[in-house]
Amino acid sequence: MRFIWISVRKDWIRVRRDPFSLLTSLAIPLILAVMMSLVFGRGQAVPQGRLLVADEDSTLASNLLLGGFNREPLNKMLVLENVSQADGRARINRGDGSALLIIPTGFQAALVGNHPFQLQLFTNPSQRILPQIVEQSLSIMVDGAFYAQQLAGPQFRALDKVQAPPDSLIASVSVAFNHLAQSLQRYLNPPVMALETAAAADPDASPRQSFAATFLPSMIFMGLLLIASSMAQDIWRERLMGTLRRLAVSPAPLSGFLAGRLVFVAMVFALMAMAGLVASHTLAAVPVANLPAAVLWLTFAGTALFLMMLVVTLTASTARAASVMGNLIVFPLAMLGGCFFPFAWMPAWMARIGRLTPNGWAITQFQAILSGEIDARRLAVAVAVLTAVGAVMFVLAMRRLRLRFLV
Amino acid sequence: MIEVDQLRKSFGDLNAVDGVSFTAARGEIFGLLGPNGAGKTTTIGCICGLLQPSSGHVRVNGHDAVRQGPAARRALGVAPQEISLYEDLSAAENLAYWGGAQGMRQPALGERMRAVLELTGLEDRAREPVKLFSGGMKRRLNFACGIIHQPKVLLLDEPTAGVDPQSRVRLLELVRAQARAGACVLYTTHYMEEAEALCDRLAIVDHGRIIAAGTLTELRAMLAERDLLRLSGSFPLDACKAALSHVDGVELLQADSDLLILSLPEASRRLPGIFAALAAAGAEVRETTLTQPSLESLFIKLTGKELRE
Repeated sequence: MRFIWISVRKDWIRVRRDPFSLLTSLAIPLILAVMMSLVFGRGQAVPQGRLLVADEDSTLASNLLLGGFNREPLNKMLVLENVSQADGRARINRGDGSALLIIPTGFQAALVGNHPFQLQLFTNPSQRILPQIVEQSLSIMVDGAFYAQQLAGPQFRALDKVQAPPDSLIASVSVAFNHLAQSLQRYLNPPVMALETAAAADPDASPRQSFAATFLPSMIFMGLLLIASSMAQDIWRERLMGTLRRLAVSPAPLSGFLAGRLVFVAMVFALMAMAGLVASHTLAAVPVANLPAAVLWLTFAGTALFLMMLVVTLTASTARAASVMGNLIVFPLAMLGGCFFPFAWMPAWMARIGRLTPNGWAITQFQAILSGEIDARRLAVAVAVLTAVGAVMFVLAMRRLRLRFLV
Repeated sequence: MIEVDQLRKSFGDLNAVDGVSFTAARGEIFGLLGPNGAGKTTTIGCICGLLQPSSGHVRVNGHDAVRQGPAARRALGVAPQEISLYEDLSAAENLAYWGGAQGMRQPALGERMRAVLELTGLEDRAREPVKLFSGGMKRRLNFACGIIHQPKVLLLDEPTAGVDPQSRVRLLELVRAQARAGACVLYTTHYMEEAEALCDRLAIVDHGRIIAAGTLTELRAMLAERDLLRLSGSFPLDACKAALSHVDGVELLQADSDLLILSLPEASRRLPGIFAALAAAGAEVRETTLTQPSLESLFIKLTGKELRE
């Protein structure tokens, strides 16, 4: 037991002195995760377009109309850009912008006078969603303007008649608006209609996840797999340094050495899991329903993957062969087992096969832990399965180490 | 302390060790001398339990190396031929790890580490990573890790290979100190002068077999005070062999078209006669080396070849 901790300490010092050998294994998933997060953002993807506006009326009414596009949530989806009509037409013909809105001169006069008037909207046919949003929003605003005109037509007209209204007129219009608001108060505050909404759950539909929530578990497992492979390769470095042979002629048991390595590997995975999950949660809003269970799972899964890679490495006849064998196993496993591409992005048949790979199975359980869909009993069974597989791998690795690898 | 009895180790058809037997006692430095590939390292591998003998027996400190492996290994200290250290760790951390592997605990381990670092002259560099050490310093630390637990039996497999003269002198002195302290030292080397300077008893090994064994005096006696004469040049072999066969007391050890090695008593006095015989045979001598009786000349006499071949 004491030698296990001596070995853990030795491995810890070695990694502390040369952290890059471990960190380079994390580089691929880390770079991918950062780039993907930068491209797709941290939450639900929100499309953003450009609404070109040629406001030839430039009145209070046209400003009020355009003000509607500056309110949430439209202002998150659309950026308004004032253009001349000719420039706007040229740009929308080039496909530069989601839509072009032309407000011709006379818009306010027509509104207060209750005359028919035509706004012009040109949409970009190469875009589907944003032009429709502009069209629907404009339609609602025009309806709103109609009702406002019906309710406060005399007040609008009074203001429209003069260029610079005197204070007395502003005061009388204000009083009139106040009376209007008071008369409508019982309809507006509180609203006479109570809208109750209930979303019916679709039993077949899977819960919608953000990009980060879909992608980051894969990245974490890719890191796990690459570190497991790198740490398994270290047994060859030990052999080439001659330290394994020296250990074999000491009274210290080889099982203690291997157990020490296992404890160290588990510690690395636990730290990595903790850091990865906290970073995913805080930086990319990945939901983590049960942090301790997720860390425990990543630690167990990573350690089992390490043992699997160790057995493979010990089977090789040279360090180079071990490296080639490791890569031949790690990269197809990562591709198929959901480490490069989430299962949600794969064809169904490939996802079915991928979930049967060791890392694919582990990722599936991990996603269930993240979303809180796994109960304690199912988690215990999964951990027991991993422990049993790990124990078999440990025995195989010991046997290989003792009988073939050292000689 | 070390008893090796009819040890054999085969790798397929190759008999790396073929019936080697010897004993080494407490406080004794026993040398295994032989060229590369003679079977010295394989013999050490069987003694320390790294290799399973094909047949024969090895006992270390009274324990069978195979059946009582852990007990035998507890008495052993090893300085392997290849430097076996963690290069990322410092000298002190290496010593702490290998001391721990031997079951040592604090504070005894700390005291022993200080003593060993001082012995090997590494106390000033104890905190530096080993990868910054010179070859000689690594060799000294390699040795230090082998003696950290004060072993009763010390196996040193060519511990001075590739080190500078200063480090070599220091290492040899360290080995003598271990023997003086009561350890049984098994020392393998292919440096004759090292073996002559260090070992109490020696076994000369070639092709997995011991071809001569004894104290230095006993081995020298096998040469019967004969000198070794090495001649380089151009030699018509048949004519030279015929000419030399008529010179009294000359034994031809090696004969090539460009090299002759002869064994003969009082060689310096008889050189003119030898040159005259060779000149008559049409030989042209360009270089002559005369060696007094030594292990090297014994080795050449026994095997017909030079040790460093």
